[in-house]
Amino acid sequence: MKAWEVEDLHVNYGKKQVLWDVSFSVPPGVMVAIVGPNGAGKSTLLKTALGLVEPLSGKIDLLGQPVKKVKQKIAYVPQRESVDWDFPITALELILMGRYGRLGLLGRLRQADREAALRSLELVGMGDFAHTQIGQLSGGQQQRLFIARALVQGGSLFFLDEPFAGVDLATEKSIVSLLQAQKEEGKTIFSVHHDLPTVEEYFDWVILLNTRLIACGPVKQVFTAENLALTFGKSQELFDEAASLSAKSISGIV
Amino acid sequence: MSLIDFFIDPVLRGPTWGTLFMCIASGLIGSVLLLRKKTLLAESLSHAAYPGVILGVSLFALAFPAHEEWAFVSVLAGASFSAFLALKGIEWLMRRKVSPDAALCFILAVFFGAGIVAASSMQSQLPSWHQKTQMLLFGQAATMTGIHVALYGGLALSIALFFLLMYRPLQSVLFDRDFSSLLGLNVKWLERLIFCLLLASLIVGIRSVGVILMSGMIIAPAVAARQFTHHLHRMFFLASFFGALSGLLGNFLSIWGSMYLSTETERMTLPTGPSIVLVGSCFAFLSLLFAPQRGLVSRLFRIGAFRLRRLEENILKYFWKKGTLSRKILHETLHVPMWALFLVLRRLKKQGWIEGAYSLTPDGMKRAASIVRLHRLWELYLTEQLKLETGKVHKTAEEMEHILTPDLEERLTHLLGAPTQDPHQQPIPEKSRFP
Amino acid sequence: MSPYWGANFFEFFFLFFTRLFHSVWSQPATDEIQIGVLCMTAISCGLIGPFLVLRKMTMFANSLSHTVLLGIAGTIFFFGKETPFDLTHLLVGALLAAFLTALLTEGLIKGFRLQEDASIGLVFTSLFALGIVFVTLFTKDLHLGLESVVGNVDALKLSDFRASTLLALLNLSLITLFYRQFQIGSFDRGLAKTLSSCSSLFHYLLLFLTSVTCIGAFRAIGVILVLAFLVGPYLTARLFFHRLKPLLVASVLLGCLASLLGVAFSRHLLTTFGLPLSTGGLVVCFIGLLYVLSYIVKKIYRSGMLLTKAHD
Repeated sequence: MKAWEVEDLHVNYGKKQVLWDVSFSVPPGVMVAIVGPNGAGKSTLLKTALGLVEPLSGKIDLLGQPVKKVKQKIAYVPQRESVDWDFPITALELILMGRYGRLGLLGRLRQADREAALRSLELVGMGDFAHTQIGQLSGGQQQRLFIARALVQGGSLFFLDEPFAGVDLATEKSIVSLLQAQKEEGKTIFSVHHDLPTVEEYFDWVILLNTRLIACGPVKQVFTAENLALTFGKSQELFDEAASLSAKSISGIV
Repeated sequence: MSLIDFFIDPVLRGPTWGTLFMCIASGLIGSVLLLRKKTLLAESLSHAAYPGVILGVSLFALAFPAHEEWAFVSVLAGASFSAFLALKGIEWLMRRKVSPDAALCFILAVFFGAGIVAASSMQSQLPSWHQKTQMLLFGQAATMTGIHVALYGGLALSIALFFLLMYRPLQSVLFDRDFSSLLGLNVKWLERLIFCLLLASLIVGIRSVGVILMSGMIIAPAVAARQFTHHLHRMFFLASFFGALSGLLGNFLSIWGSMYLSTETERMTLPTGPSIVLVGSCFAFLSLLFAPQRGLVSRLFRIGAFRLRRLEENILKYFWKKGTLSRKILHETLHVPMWALFLVLRRLKKQGWIEGAYSLTPDGMKRAASIVRLHRLWELYLTEQLKLETGKVHKTAEEMEHILTPDLEERLTHLLGAPTQDPHQQPIPEKSRFP
Repeated sequence: MSPYWGANFFEFFFLFFTRLFHSVWSQPATDEIQIGVLCMTAISCGLIGPFLVLRKMTMFANSLSHTVLLGIAGTIFFFGKETPFDLTHLLVGALLAAFLTALLTEGLIKGFRLQEDASIGLVFTSLFALGIVFVTLFTKDLHLGLESVVGNVDALKLSDFRASTLLALLNLSLITLFYRQFQIGSFDRGLAKTLSSCSSLFHYLLLFLTSVTCIGAFRAIGVILVLAFLVGPYLTARLFFHRLKPLLVASVLLGCLASLLGVAFSRHLLTTFGLPLSTGGLVVCFIGLLYVLSYIVKKIYRSGMLLTKAHD
């Protein structure tokens, strides 16, 4: 059974073709980097997998089933800009949100949930900040909170969107070791990553994306100079133009 | 009562010209706000002008009780003052991390509340004056006199002149504010001027449409105009046109409607303000639906036309591959319903691409060949340039063959070096040099 | 004759609190009914207002508060103009209004790709204008339109108190029951969607509650002033608290405080100066005043803290 399987995925955004005919599959228990230039559709791929974006066509399966059925097993770490940091919530309360998925409609948070949240806070080194309002924390600390929340969700699939953007090196290293520890326990981790030099060091697999899939596979096999040239190079100008024309025709926009 | 009467008759011409000028002004200003995505600022400021109006009129009534005809000066002054205060309040709140919409709503509500308090005070102390201010909530164009028309006409003219003279700097600032200030344009002063004009059009507007519905006349004409063009000067012109039309028609509607609905015994008035806003909104909704390029109906039409062309081309391609075919075979292989096939084949025959019991004409051959050429060129591009697997390129080429333009085709040919074979070892039809 | 007749500001409070323990419940005076209705409105608004502000939906709430007029016109059309403020009629009108507003606004934003501010503005001005026209046609009386905008606190009756209490209870129970869902939906919609499939249900529930509250409040303070109750107390409370539960409690209390002060001050002005001012407007002014005062208090406290720290 594959951790993440995608077939013939097309995603539009108005007159822009964001993902074109993407198909790949990833086995469980690996740490995967999603790499590509700006606007390549990496965040969109993540969001489509999680059911936050409706694709034009195509199929997505997580752990062999459609997204709706495996919501309990997914942990999502969004980009830091997508969150309102002025929201009146403390660090501990944010992490406790990770447990909401298990409670159903009317359930209450219990002692076990609070303890799990506190332990998770300790694990990311933020034990002292349990009652601090989230806006008062630094970038690295906020990112660690998100990781802690993902840990507390207890899922087997992790989806992270640029977790290392604007984060100090120490935080980055500690997050990587946390994630790798999760991988050792059999979880699968997908992370949109923009720092090419560290791909080989942190990840086992890589998905190279530039509106279409360039390659998907183990880092050693697929992370080659040739593939990188295809991903980041200019040979697809024609393709991008044609793809955007196609998007316009389909949505009737001029 | 004929249409001309509205412009000439001494009772009717005041409201007619007055609303006309006011709507032109609000349409112009509304365009600027729409492009800046700040249309709801007009909503907040128009409500916030209310306490200033009440205070202004009260002070005037105490100071110059005998000069009622000049009271509107105090309306102008008061409205400007409290709208200005409101703007400062909104900016102050936003600097303190209050989200913009919450700031707008808070200022709107609190100022309006203060206005209500002031109005109630006026109701008990200066009852005759109170009546006049009540009309400013929903507007009362019907009682506009020559002085009003002159003043509002003057204001509208100044706004139009501003837009005419300052078109280039305005265009620059609207498009890219930071770049404009780098260019040396005095962006701050321009924005202050625009704000003054916004105030002016708000004040002009609240007399005819009222405080509460004013933002409707700012937004609707601009939205309608935007659907028809992306040239800024045309948008300005269209916005004032739609505004003017809404003002006139709304006015007519309210007067005719009132007459129609009034009976011998019951006097019925259809309020002017809402009528104007309704007409304006109708224009906006109609534009959103039917504008030639951006309208929804136009879009749906284009999608339909594309799908039809795609179907036609697929059918022609199939003919090219298989020679003579009957409708039945086409139905079975392409899975298109018989009735659709009937219509499409008839159209193709009429246009001269097929003939007889269905086979290609020479023209049809050429067209089909050119589509196949696009398909195979694209496949080659995907495999050679983008290193896709041969087995995966057919499906996407099936879509792309209907989309590639002649320009793209030429670039492809050039890039691939005028190739003769596709990845499946099939020949690529040559580009026909003759039609 | 109201027992508060002739009372000034401080006498008002004295009288109010003494009566609170016996006479209020048997024979409530008009002033007390006013306080009651306004407080119940403050409770409803204080509970849903914070969520609206956090979701950046206040302008949409403004839109809803205007379009409820169309809902009211609808109920007048269907049920006749005798009792437009019956509770079931309120709910029906609210449903109509909320549904239409949300449908049209989202339709404009997503289907027609119109920018958000213009969509909201276009929908509510056109629907409100339509509402005014209908109300004028059905009731042959423009005053209803005027009253819907500014409300009429002085005409409140006991039945209004019952209605607003029921609304407050509705809001209280739903917000407490589904607190987590509302909280997470306001903070992180992406997470909410990944955790549960029916997260958008709560979005629409919030819209419905807002509509119902707006209609319920319109009798007392009118559609525009409801906005003050929704936004003001929350902004004030946010100056002091940074956790959601204390914020909800504080918003409710601040709204009630403003109501009490407003009614008392209104009575005081009537007694002392013979000036009958709009009570609803006064309450809103107090909401604004409370914000300003709180800001000043916070500034003083802050600089006071700095001074003491410097001394350490």
